[in-house]
Parts: sequence; structure tokens; C-alpha cells
Amino acid sequence: MDDIIICRCQEVTRQEILDAIAAGATTVDGVKRRTRAGMGLCQGKTCERLVAKIIAEQTGRPMAEILPPKSRIPVRPVKIGIIGGKDDE
Amino acid sequence: MSKDADIIVIGGGIIGCSVTYQLSKLGKKVLQIEREDITRGAAGATDGVVGYHTKKPGAQMDLAVQSISMFEHLSEELGEDVEYGFHCGGMQPVEDQLQWDILSGIVEEQRKSGVDIRMISIEEAREIEPMLAPDLKGALYSPTGGKVNPIKLTIAFSNAAKKLGATVMTETEVTDLIMEGTAVKGVKTTKGDFYADAVVNSCGAWAANIGKMAGLNIPIQPRKGQLIVTEPIGPFMDVTLQCARYNVIKFRPEAVDDPAALKIGNSLSIEQTETGGLIIGGTREFVGYDRENSLEAIETILRRAVRFFPALKDICFIRAFAGLRPYTPDGLPLIGKVNAREGFYIAAGHEGDGIALSPITGKLLAEQIVYGKESYSLESFDPNRFPLESA
Ligand SMILES: Cc1cc2nc3c(=O)[nH]c(=O)nc-3n(C[C@H](O)[C@H](O)[C@H](O)COP(=O)(O)OP(=O)(O)OC[C@H]3O[C@@H](n4cnc5c(N)ncnc54)[C@H](O)[C@@H]3O)c2cc1C
Repeated sequence: MDDIIICRCQEVTRQEILDAIAAGATTVDGVKRRTRAGMGLCQGKTCERLVAKIIAEQTGRPMAEILPPKSRIPVRPVKIGIIGGKDDE
Repeated sequence: MSKDADIIVIGGGIIGCSVTYQLSKLGKKVLQIEREDITRGAAGATDGVVGYHTKKPGAQMDLAVQSISMFEHLSEELGEDVEYGFHCGGMQPVEDQLQWDILSGIVEEQRKSGVDIRMISIEEAREIEPMLAPDLKGALYSPTGGKVNPIKLTIAFSNAAKKLGATVMTETEVTDLIMEGTAVKGVKTTKGDFYADAVVNSCGAWAANIGKMAGLNIPIQPRKGQLIVTEPIGPFMDVTLQCARYNVIKFRPEAVDDPAALKIGNSLSIEQTETGGLIIGGTREFVGYDRENSLEAIETILRRAVRFFPALKDICFIRAFAGLRPYTPDGLPLIGKVNAREGFYIAAGHEGDGIALSPITGKLLAEQIVYGKESYSLESFDPNRFPLESA
């Protein structure tokens, strides 16, 4: 059960997330920095809630303190050329 | 009052973690206090350039040479892989004759520290990095010098320190210093008071706030840098690359003629991480403690990226973020004892070089605190060069 993959983009297992919590992570962001969970292509859209639930189970903290306050731009992957294309295009 | 530790280190960035590790290694009992979490500061929102070619000629370059030599064995010493690559090299392509002349001048100065940095033609540059645009003029090139994963390095310092007995308190904010006359005796925090023989201020861009608690005026200001990260792609580039404007904005801002670029301090920096994503930056902005991303900056960064690597236009970026560099007026960090406050030390103000300078900063400051003298002189970085007691 602990070897199930929670973050599919970065292949992070439940056990790795438990280890990060044991090493001091208390938020989704803290787990992310220690394991890369949520740093992949989907930027945590799939695993964020799962990671938060594991932290809540382990630490007894309320969800509001665990989840990141807001998402950063871009909300979805964007082609660099769409924003950074040459002036004359 | 009985003491809680030999030394209290405030701040859990890469500098605080390196200092904590080195003090622990010298047998000291250390209590490290971090307001949020380890790596929540600049170390968690940065590139990982550990190169010579981005260093200010003179004392900063000499210190970098000392620091980079420590990187070679860090993974081994800390017992964790910090993804250090020494031979990726560094490059700064130039667009025109003016940039060529300015960089050539800087290179002359940099070479005085005995490092291999030279100017090469665009043809040579494209042999090393084939994806570079062919219509550039040439490049500054440094065959050695590398990159590291800054988050992994910070966490590795911290884990190694804990193994040596250091105590790390996160989600604990230092709200005041405990003073006895002009001596610093401990800290007041959101989780109680703690006493020690010495207190180290390693709060990066926030170091001036801690200074105020000691009645000191530390001339460090936050300088924001925005970055974007792309989706992982196959091997794209080896070097860490900055456009020529990077060194020009860093060392000769008066030579930049584009007011828009100067305002946000835009210059391209780009590197590929071990997991395949590219980190593309960056800006140098004085906007207080704001850590938001602006569309204006992202657009400018991406335009510059496509200018140098046209193939990037078809790659997706997945995230933008921003970090606060600790800026100092002379571009050099403050490392060492504050003469006017017994028991108070500073290790902060590394601006854009804190990752590269983290190992040596921790080592030399720990030696100064424990032995009263460091093995390589910190004279150029002495905090007392600034009028700290001025109102
Ligand atoms: C965009 C960008 C790109 C960069 N690129 C490079 C590069 O390629 N190579 C390189 O070498 N450097 C680079 N840097 C610079 C490098 O990131 C910084 O110099 C370095 O991370 C600073 O580390 P620090 O530990 O001093 O500060 P920080 O990491 O900011 O740590 C300070 C810590 O102090 C804590 N703190 C503050 N106030 C308190 C308080 N009252 N109580 C308790 N804790 C407190 C904060 O929460 C924070 O965690 C870059 C920086 C940026 C922003």
C-alpha cells in the first residue's frame, strides 16, 4: 500500500511522502520541495489533494493550513512561442 | 539564564543550513530557527549556477574559486546526491560589438583569479551548443564551472547537520533579540525564548529586519528575480547560459541603454535540470517583499529565450515563480562578526551568488566563530565595512 504512486508525473510513492513528513514537511509545498511531488507536467492538479490528505492524516492539521494558498501562472502549460514569439510575427 | 544551545542560527535558507552544518561539524550544539520551512526563501526559487563566469572580478571571484573547489566532494560528504555537474561549463552569447567589448573587459579582470574564461566565435559556440541562434556575434565561455540542485543541496546540508546533533525548528519566527547592553544573548520567538553564546543572522533578503532588533542598520534589500520552468524535454543544452546582458546588468548597469530592460533588470539565464525541464530567468527588480509574477516580466523573459534558442518556441512552460535575492550596495555579502554587538554574526547578502558561495560561507564563518580565526580571509566581506550603527 505504501508503494502506490501518488504523484504520477514524478513517480512519487506514498512511502516517499511519509518519509518527507517524518523529515519535517507539514504542507503540500514542504512535501513538494522534499520529493518533487507536484512539480511535474500537471503541477499537482491530480495529486495535490491526495498529498494533502496524507499530511492531514499524519499531522492532524486542518486542510486550510496544508494546501498552497493559490496557483501560479500559467494555469495550464503554454507554448513559449505564444507569449515570447518574435515581434514581427 | 541557562543556555539552550552554543549557537543559534536564524534562517533556514541555503546559507543558514550551511552554517548550521559546519558549526555542528566543529562540535557545536546548534539551534536553527526558521519562520516557515527549510528552502522556503530564495534557495527554493533560484537557478543553480555554480560557475566562475558570473562572478564579480576580485574578492568575490577568489571566494568563488574556494567555494567551487568544495563542491566536488559535497554529495559524498553530505551523504546525498545534490546533482552537481562540474563540467557543464558556462556561456554568455553576445549580440553586438558593444557587448563584446564590455564582456572582453570583464573577462580580462576575471582571469586574474586564475580561472579559464575566454571569448569565442559564434561558430565555436554553436559547436558546443548547436541549438543557439546562428546570427549571434560570439560568446564568453568558461569550460569549467557547473550547476547544482539548490533545493537538494539545502536539504542535504540540513539533514547532515541534524545527524550531527543540530536542532532545527521550523514554523518558528524570531520576533526579537534578547540583549544585555550591547551583547546579544538569545532570541525571542513565536515558540518561546532561547539563549546561546552566539547568534547568527542568516535571513537573506530579510536580514535587515533582524538587524533592526539589534539596533543595527544592515544595508541588505530584497531584489526580486522571476523565473519560468518548462516541461521536461530531451537533452537540449549542457552549459548554464546567460545572455551578455546578465554580466553587464550585474557589473556595469550604466552601460545598458534599453530603459525597459533596466527597469526590471531583465537578462536571460537558462539551464537544463537533471529531470529535463529548463529553468529560464530572470529579472532583477526592487519591489520590496513582493513575490508575485508579472506578465510583463514573463513575456520579456520568454522573448529573450526565443531570441537565443529559436527552437524553444514550441516548448511548453508549466510554472512561473519568483525569489528574493539579498542585495548589498557593493555586491559583496556580509560574513562575520559585528564588532559593536558582542555575540552577533551575519552571513547574508549573497545576492545572485548564494548557491555557489554557500559551502565556503558556512565553513569560514564556523571557523571564525569557533576558532576566532578563519582559514581563508573574510576581510573583504567584513560586515563592519558598512556603518551598521548609523541611524
Ligand atoms: C531568480 C534567482 C536566480 C538565482 N540564481 C542563482 C544562481 O544561479 N547561482 C547562485 O549561486 N545563486 C543564485 N541566486 C541567489 C541565491 O538564490 C541566493 O543568494 C541564496 O538562495 C540566498 O540564500 P539565503 O540562505 O541567504 O536566503 P534565503 O534562502 O532567502 O533564506 C532566508 C530565510 O530566513 C527566513 N527568515 C526570515 N526572517 C525570519 C525570522 N524573523 N525568523 C526566522 N526565520 C526568518 C526566511 O523564511 C528564509 O527561509 C538566485 C536568486 C534568484 C532569486
